[in-house]
Amino acid sequence: MADPLAPERRASIEVRDLVVRYGAVTAVRGVSFHVAAGEHVTLLGPSGCGKTTTLRAIAGLEQPESGEIRIDGKPVFSSTPRVRVPPEQRGLSMVFQSYAIWPHMTVFDNVAYGLRVRKLPPAEVAERVGRALGLVQMSELAARSAAKLSGGQQQRVALARAFVFGPAVLLFDEPLSNLDAKLRAEMRLEIKELQRALGITSVYVTHDLEEALAISDRIVVMRDGVIEQTGPPAEIYDLPRNAFVADFVGSANLIEGRPRPELAGPGLVALETPGGAIVHGTAYGRRVGPRACFSVRTVHVRLSRERPAGPVNVWPATVRRRVFQGDFTQYHVDWDGRTLVVRGVTVDPVDESQTVYLSVEPRHCVLLEDQSSG
Amino acid sequence: MAELARARRFRPGPRLVSALVGGAAAILVLYPIAFLIQASLSVGDPQARPPEAYGLDNFADLPRYGHIFANTVSVAVAATVMAVVVGFVMGWILSRTNVPGRGALEQLMALPYYVTPLMGALAWSLIGSPSGGFLNQVWRALGGRDHLIDVTTPYGIAWVMALFEGSVAFVMIGAVMKSMDPALEEASQVLGAGRLRTMLRITLPLVLPGVLGAAIFVFAEMLGSFSAALVLGLPSRFYVVTTAMYQLVSQYPPQFPRAAAMGVSLFGVMFAMVYVYRRVVQAGSYATITGKAFRARAMDVAGLRWPLLGVCLAYLGVAVVLPVVTLLYASVQRLATAFPRAGNFTLANYETALSLDAVRAALWNSLLLGLGTASIGVLLMGFLAWMIYRSRLPGVGVIEYVLMFPQAVPRLVFAFGMLWAWLIFPIPIYGTLWLLLIAYLTVFLPLGLRTIAGVMLQIDRSLEESAQMCGASWGYRMRTVTMPLLRPGLVAAWLLLFIASVRELGASILLMGPKAKVITPTIVESWFSTSTELTAAMALLQTLAVSLALVLLFKVARRATQPAGE
Repeated sequence: MADPLAPERRASIEVRDLVVRYGAVTAVRGVSFHVAAGEHVTLLGPSGCGKTTTLRAIAGLEQPESGEIRIDGKPVFSSTPRVRVPPEQRGLSMVFQSYAIWPHMTVFDNVAYGLRVRKLPPAEVAERVGRALGLVQMSELAARSAAKLSGGQQQRVALARAFVFGPAVLLFDEPLSNLDAKLRAEMRLEIKELQRALGITSVYVTHDLEEALAISDRIVVMRDGVIEQTGPPAEIYDLPRNAFVADFVGSANLIEGRPRPELAGPGLVALETPGGAIVHGTAYGRRVGPRACFSVRTVHVRLSRERPAGPVNVWPATVRRRVFQGDFTQYHVDWDGRTLVVRGVTVDPVDESQTVYLSVEPRHCVLLEDQSSG
Repeated sequence: MAELARARRFRPGPRLVSALVGGAAAILVLYPIAFLIQASLSVGDPQARPPEAYGLDNFADLPRYGHIFANTVSVAVAATVMAVVVGFVMGWILSRTNVPGRGALEQLMALPYYVTPLMGALAWSLIGSPSGGFLNQVWRALGGRDHLIDVTTPYGIAWVMALFEGSVAFVMIGAVMKSMDPALEEASQVLGAGRLRTMLRITLPLVLPGVLGAAIFVFAEMLGSFSAALVLGLPSRFYVVTTAMYQLVSQYPPQFPRAAAMGVSLFGVMFAMVYVYRRVVQAGSYATITGKAFRARAMDVAGLRWPLLGVCLAYLGVAVVLPVVTLLYASVQRLATAFPRAGNFTLANYETALSLDAVRAALWNSLLLGLGTASIGVLLMGFLAWMIYRSRLPGVGVIEYVLMFPQAVPRLVFAFGMLWAWLIFPIPIYGTLWLLLIAYLTVFLPLGLRTIAGVMLQIDRSLEESAQMCGASWGYRMRTVTMPLLRPGLVAAWLLLFIASVRELGASILLMGPKAKVITPTIVESWFSTSTELTAAMALLQTLAVSLALVLLFKVARRATQPAGE
């Protein structure tokens, strides 16, 4: 059933208590996660969060200070007992942010490199390279000098070169960040399809939320060298654990307040904001602390000229600013002594300074985890 | 297929190789310096080895030579001022204005460096010595009295040194001016500042650290320069530190400890200068180097274009055309004189030069040494550059520091340390070409390293890492990725090392043995002991050999860099 380029075996990856230091700076401080065989996991976070360092540590290009990395159950790095398997012996492969296409070789030679390293017979090299270039739609350019490729073409060659020799694990270091937006969206889909077709275990690093949501089986959100949240894309998006994840993964309004359990309806949590508004939300099994906070996605807040039906979470508010953004329109709304950001469809826009009704369903007001108890 | 996922097992242990090569190179540098210092502290019999007693007497004696130090500083200051002015003006014209023929002129600016100070000194001695200089002959024929110029004065010596160091200053200052983002100036103009105000408040402060850095670097080089002061100063007994050292060592009986003390002092001063230079460059680099690609904006200088072109041509004229033409003119005369006379012209000097066994052997030895130095040097320095800038092995910072030492030591001083060091070496290489080979490899370490490192640092690290991720071992990566990508740098380094070795004087003059002569010291000997015309012919023959190598440099370098560029 599998493609001939699919790996012999799909390795799992286990990262435990990883610490990486550059001189005085600790880039990664105790990161642990697991990637199942054939799974596609994305490390997501702002620049400097340690995601690329983590990836390079898995590759063996960065020497961690402590912790353990296992590929297919076998340790490739470990501080105690001391294990350091050099990158070229870890049986994985990588697509670099800069593509790292060798300018002194042709497209064919670039892709064939990993096969020639493994001393495959020329006939098999040609066959596999041809198939790999076909998968990335670069067959016609095989004989071209790699120095004469556009950014998108280099990206495809880098991809073909990375999977052609059937590595057990494929690592991606922000592979799309140097492409323009349209090409990026296109390549995103291709990478996803390729990964599915070959079933290679993949770790993907990006700071681009859409990319992470679109292609991952699971997302690991990182900040300042630690993991903030791990889960499938929908879970990360729908149930952010804390304010950082809520804000970084999509756009969200954070509404803080004092719990008012006596006002809460069945199965709901009620908070009283500093401005006095009562907001009903959902706990999703999380504990309500003394100061609690809801995350409300900007797309989940509704604006309407007529008062909508519903017992809770309906307030009058004033549109202060309207920003036309094409696919959607963003409103900045004065409510409860602060500003809420609301994204709505562009048809029938509400005018600035107009008083409208603001409403949100309690299931979309997601209680964040209680930070006070640690 | 199963073996595909597993990588090959063979690894040549780059760590051990690195430690050995790095250590050997460091010893090559430090061994002679240690002996130089030891000699400077010897206070017993000056000929005794190892020293009978140690003390600071030689240094205490140095004030006796105060005038020599004063000479050195005044020549160096004058030469630095002239060279930096040349470098600044040429740098500004060629990188910031739309002077006609900019690209070609920029290429030509490398020529003075290749003409070499020795040739310049020989030629300018023919042009401007007080009695027989061509220019002074013409001056007297026109009714002038005495002489118009005198290049045997300190300012004359400084003038000749500055002409050739000017192209070095140009390269350094031009690079700073080019690396300045024009948007910085444009921003000032957009905000309403005029052109002059922009120049004074934005451009000047931004390039100042670069200019200062160049000035310090040039000054350090001038302190250690040798050949111009030797050719122009020795006949009139005008000494700088390097020529005084040479005199102390070559006289009988030689005064090794005293010369060593001079060398150590010079080393100390130059070391401090190079240190300051590095600090200045590091502190100033933030402002102009953005690392972003931009097109250097050329200022429209309208009517000034032609006068500025004139300035450029005038510099190339006095630094390249005039010296070469003068030597050529002198070399085809029986008796060199400013005024052509039928019957005075001859090719006999070339015939003599090529028929003298000593000259032929010296030229052959030099070419052989050039070949050896360049070939071994590229391998050695290529590996060292990889080790220092790529391997991330511990301790490479220290190795880099040590290997850059020869930059702060005049070659003559370095050779002095080697002379002292290798005389007692159990394998008898003193007086053979082997010693010169070792000397060249040592003194040109910074040159080769910098050339190769310049290319290496442009190669993105991920190009090597991706080979590693494809499962390639260290040796395989080196052969298939690193070396091919480095080729332009290796070719350039090979030719630079070749050229530098063939025309080397300061180290060769002390270290060559009577049975293993090389060409440049032979030219100097000829200048002092035989005819000027014959010397001119020899110098041109040497230049011819160097020029052929230069043509090769441009051809190969262009071909090698073209496929690599986008």
